[in-house]
Amino acid sequence: MAVSSGPVTGSLRRDDGLLRRIVTHRADYAYVLPALVVMMVVIAYPIWFTVDMSFYKTPASLQLRDRTFVGWKNYHTILTAPAFWSVTLNTLIWTVASTFFAFLLGLGAALSLHREFAGRAVLRAILLIPYVISAVAASYLWKWLYHSDFGVIGALSVQWGFTDKPINFLDNIHTALPSLIVVNIWREFSFAMIMLMAGLQTVPEQLLRAAQVDGANAWQRFWHVTAPHLKGVSMVTVLLLMVANFNSFIVPWLMTGGGPAGASDIWITHIYQIAFGRQNWGLASAYSVILFIVMMCLGYFYVQALTRGDKGRPE
Amino acid sequence: MSGRVDGWRWAGRVFLVLILLFTAVPMVWMLLTSIKSQFAAMQYPPQWWPKEPTLENYTKLLDPTNPVGNDFLRYMWNSFYVSLATTVLGVAVAVPAAYAFSRFRFPGRTFLFFAVLLRNMFPAVVFLMPLFILMRWLGLVGTHGSLILTYLTFGLPLSIWLLKGFYDNIPIQLEQAARIDGATRFQAFLLIVMPLSVPGILATSIFSFIGAWNEYVYAATFLNRQDQLTLPVGIQRFFAEFATDWPGLMAATFLMSVPVVVLFLILQRYFVRALTEGAVKS
Amino acid sequence: MAKVTLENVVKTYGPVTAVGDVSFTVQDGEFVALVGPSGCGKTTTLNLIAGLIPISGGNIRIGDKLVNDLDPKDRDIAMVFQNYALYPNKTVAKNLAFPLQMRRLPKDEIARKVAEAARVLDITHLLERKPRELSGGQQQRVALGRALVRDPRAFLMDEPLSNLDAKLRVQMRTELKRFHQDLKATIIYVTHDQLEAVTMADKMAVMNGGTLQQYDSPKNVFDHPVNTFVASFVGSPAMSLVPLRRVVEGDAVALAGDGWQMPLSPANARKALSAKSDTVILGARHSTIALHDGPREGAVPGRVYTVEPTGDVTFVQVHVDGAIVIASLAPDVAVRSDTNVWLGFDQSRMHLFDCETQMALT
Repeated sequence: MAVSSGPVTGSLRRDDGLLRRIVTHRADYAYVLPALVVMMVVIAYPIWFTVDMSFYKTPASLQLRDRTFVGWKNYHTILTAPAFWSVTLNTLIWTVASTFFAFLLGLGAALSLHREFAGRAVLRAILLIPYVISAVAASYLWKWLYHSDFGVIGALSVQWGFTDKPINFLDNIHTALPSLIVVNIWREFSFAMIMLMAGLQTVPEQLLRAAQVDGANAWQRFWHVTAPHLKGVSMVTVLLLMVANFNSFIVPWLMTGGGPAGASDIWITHIYQIAFGRQNWGLASAYSVILFIVMMCLGYFYVQALTRGDKGRPE
Repeated sequence: MSGRVDGWRWAGRVFLVLILLFTAVPMVWMLLTSIKSQFAAMQYPPQWWPKEPTLENYTKLLDPTNPVGNDFLRYMWNSFYVSLATTVLGVAVAVPAAYAFSRFRFPGRTFLFFAVLLRNMFPAVVFLMPLFILMRWLGLVGTHGSLILTYLTFGLPLSIWLLKGFYDNIPIQLEQAARIDGATRFQAFLLIVMPLSVPGILATSIFSFIGAWNEYVYAATFLNRQDQLTLPVGIQRFFAEFATDWPGLMAATFLMSVPVVVLFLILQRYFVRALTEGAVKS
Repeated sequence: MAKVTLENVVKTYGPVTAVGDVSFTVQDGEFVALVGPSGCGKTTTLNLIAGLIPISGGNIRIGDKLVNDLDPKDRDIAMVFQNYALYPNKTVAKNLAFPLQMRRLPKDEIARKVAEAARVLDITHLLERKPRELSGGQQQRVALGRALVRDPRAFLMDEPLSNLDAKLRVQMRTELKRFHQDLKATIIYVTHDQLEAVTMADKMAVMNGGTLQQYDSPKNVFDHPVNTFVASFVGSPAMSLVPLRRVVEGDAVALAGDGWQMPLSPANARKALSAKSDTVILGARHSTIALHDGPREGAVPGRVYTVEPTGDVTFVQVHVDGAIVIASLAPDVAVRSDTNVWLGFDQSRMHLFDCETQMALT
C-alpha cells in the first residue's frame, strides 16, 4: 500500500498497539478460542510440568504431594551415567543414518517417478503404503522377517551363501541397530519421495529447456537447475525426517526394546524405561528436558528453512 | 546425446524395480505367511509358496463366536470408534479456527505455526507422564475419552495448518461477493466457502483418522481394561499370549492395515496434497 | 439508483495510510471512474464504499443514508470483481439467483429475474454451466448479470475488464457504456487504464498515493490537469514534460534550454511568473507539437531518438534538453533517427507546472 503524507482529517479510529488490536479483533478470537485453550492445556501444560518435575524425586506411585526437591541432581545423574553417552551415540547413528538413507532413496524414487509413464500412479501408491500403515504393523512384520529361526531374510542369506546359518539379527549387538534402521528407512523413504516429487514440480520446465539449449547434459541440468530448486524442500524434508527419527519409539520398542544389552537403546526408549520401567519420574523428566533443548535447536533450523521458503507467501 | 539420456532413464527404471522390491517383498511375505498354517510357517528352510493355503487365520479373527475373533473385532471397533470421534471432533474445532487464521489479521497467527512445530517436535513419550496425571485428574484414565481428547489436541495444530492452506487458496473475493449479494459473514462462510473446502476437510480428516488409528503409545498407557483396547495395543497383548502364532499375527497385522490403506488409496490425491502443503511453494 | 457521497474518507492500517481524506460526490446515474496506478488506494476506496473493510474516518453516504457502519449486505449495492468471483460450485443460473435468494424473494420471481438478466446479457444458453466451463468473456457477462439481476442503488466495479484480451476489452467497453446509458445506473468503476476511464466515464477521480488528485470530467482532466502526475497519467502517449529555466528580461518572459530560448505568450508569461522558483515544467501533448526540419521562430531544437509508426499516425520521440518529447506526424512524413529537428509548441494549448509543487500554473 502506498503511504500518503497528505493531511489526515476526519474522526480517526486508528488501530495500532497490540492491546487495541486484540480488542478490535475480539470477535475473531471466538473462532480460534476452543482450539487455543485445548492446545494450551495439552501442549503448554505438559512442558511446564516436565520442567518442574525434573527438579524433584517422585515416588513410583506418581503421587505429587510426596515428591521431594532435589535441585540439579537428576541432571547430574544423567550426564555422569555411562549409559548416557552410549545411548546418545545410538540416537545419533539411528537418526543420521535413517535420515540419510531415507532421503537418498526418496530422492532417487522422486527423480525416477518424475517422468510420466504408464503405471506411475500405481507405483507411487504402492511405495507409500509402508508410510501409511502403523508402526506397530511394520514392527511385527519386520520382526517376522528377521526371525532368528524362520525369518525369510536369514533363510535367503543362507541360500545365497552370505552366511552359513541364519543370523539372529535382532539379538546381536552388532546387527540390532542397523536392522532397525532398515525398517525405519522402509517406512520413511516414501515421505521424502512425496515431498521431493512436489518440489520437482516447482522446477520450471522452461529453465530445463533453456539449459538443454545451452548444451547442458542430464547431470548438469540436474545439478544446476533442478537441485537449486529442491534446496528448500530438501531442507524441510531432512529436518522433518530427523525430528521424526529422533522421536520414533514404536519400532525400537516393539522390535528390540532397546536391547540386546542396550545396543539399540535410543533416547526415547531409554526415557520410557526410566519412567515406566524403573518409575524414576524425576530422572525421566530431566531427560525429557534435555531432549526438549535438542529439539528446540532442530526446531530453530526448521523455522529457518521454512521461513526462507515462505517468502513468496503473502502475509 | 540420446544414448546418454537413455542411460539415465534405464538407471531410473532399474532403481524403481529395486525400490519396489524393497517395499513390496516384505508386504507380500506378510500375506503369504498369513495364509499358511502355523506348522507350515515354522519351517526351515521356509516354504516359499504356501503348499496348502488356508484362510483359517482370517476366519478365526473375523468370527465373533470364537473368543479370539470376538476380541479382535472388539479391538477393531474400539479403534474405529476412537478414530472416528477424533476425526469428527477435530474437524469441527479445526474448521472455524483454520478459517479465522486464514482470513482475519489478528495477533497470534504465528502462534499457530509454532504450535504445529511444537507438536511435531516433541515425542509422545515425554508427554505421557504429565498427560497421564492430567487424565487422572480429569477422571478419564481407562476411558476412550482420554484417547480422543489426546489425539484431538495433538492433531489439532496440524489440522488447522492444513485447512488454513486450503482456505488460503479460496479467493476472498468470493466471500466479498456473497456479502455484497446479501449474505452475512457467517452465511458467506457456510454457503460459499464450506462447499469449496470439502477437499481440504477430506484431506485433513484422512490425516486425523490415520493418525488416530495407528497410535500406540497413549493407547498403551491410558487404557487398562482388556475390552477397551484399540488394535495396535490389542494385538500386542493378545499375541503375547500365543507368541509363536506368526501366521495369526500376520493376518491380524494385515487386517489392521486394510482400513488405512483403503482410505489412503481412495483419497490419495488429498493425502499427498496435505503432506506437502506448506513445505513446497509453487 | 442513488447518489454516493464520500466526505473526508480515511483508511489507515496501523501507521500506514491507504486512503487519506478523500471526498467526492457521484450523482445519481453518473458513471465515475476511479483511476490511478496500482497501490494508489482506488480499490481500497471501492471496498470502503462496499463496506468490505471498515472505514477509519470520515463519512460515506449512499442516497441520503449514512452507511459507515452498515454491513455490505445492508448497503444495497452490487459489485463486479476483477476475477469475477463467480461461485465455482454453482451453475450460472444459481450464481445469478444467489443475491435474490439472500433477499428471500419468491421462487417464481427469482426465476423470472434470472431469465430476464440472462436475456439482456445474452447468456441464456449458458445458464446450466459451471463457471469453469465458460470463457473469460462469458464469465465477465455472468458477473455483470449477477450485479444487475436485482436493482441495486449503485454498481461498484473493480477492474472488471482487465482479465480480458484486448479485443474483447474494447467490445465490453462499448457494451458497458451502453448498459450505463440504458439503465441510468450509478456506477463507480475502478481501473488502472486511463483509456477506459476517459472513454466510458462521466467523471474521473484520479488518485495517487492514497489521495484524490483531481475529480472532473475526462475532458477537463485531459485539458486542464491540476498537476504533473495527472498530466502524465491521463492521455496516451503521455504528456511530455520538460523542466526548463525561466528567463525574465523586462516584460518579456522566455523558457530557456541549452543554447536556446522560447519566448512565452503574455498569458503563459503571467503563468510562468507565478512559479515559486526559476524552474518551470513545460507540458505538451503530442498533438499540439509541430515538427520542423529547419529552425523556426520560437521553435526548439531537438534530436530524433526513435520513430514509431502506428499506421494512422507516427510518433516521434525527440531528445530536448535531456528530456524526451513525443510529437506526432502524419504517416506519410518521413523522419529518420539521429537527425536534428525543431519543435514548435502551440502556446495556447501548452501547460506550465511549478517545479517545486508540481502543480499547474494558472
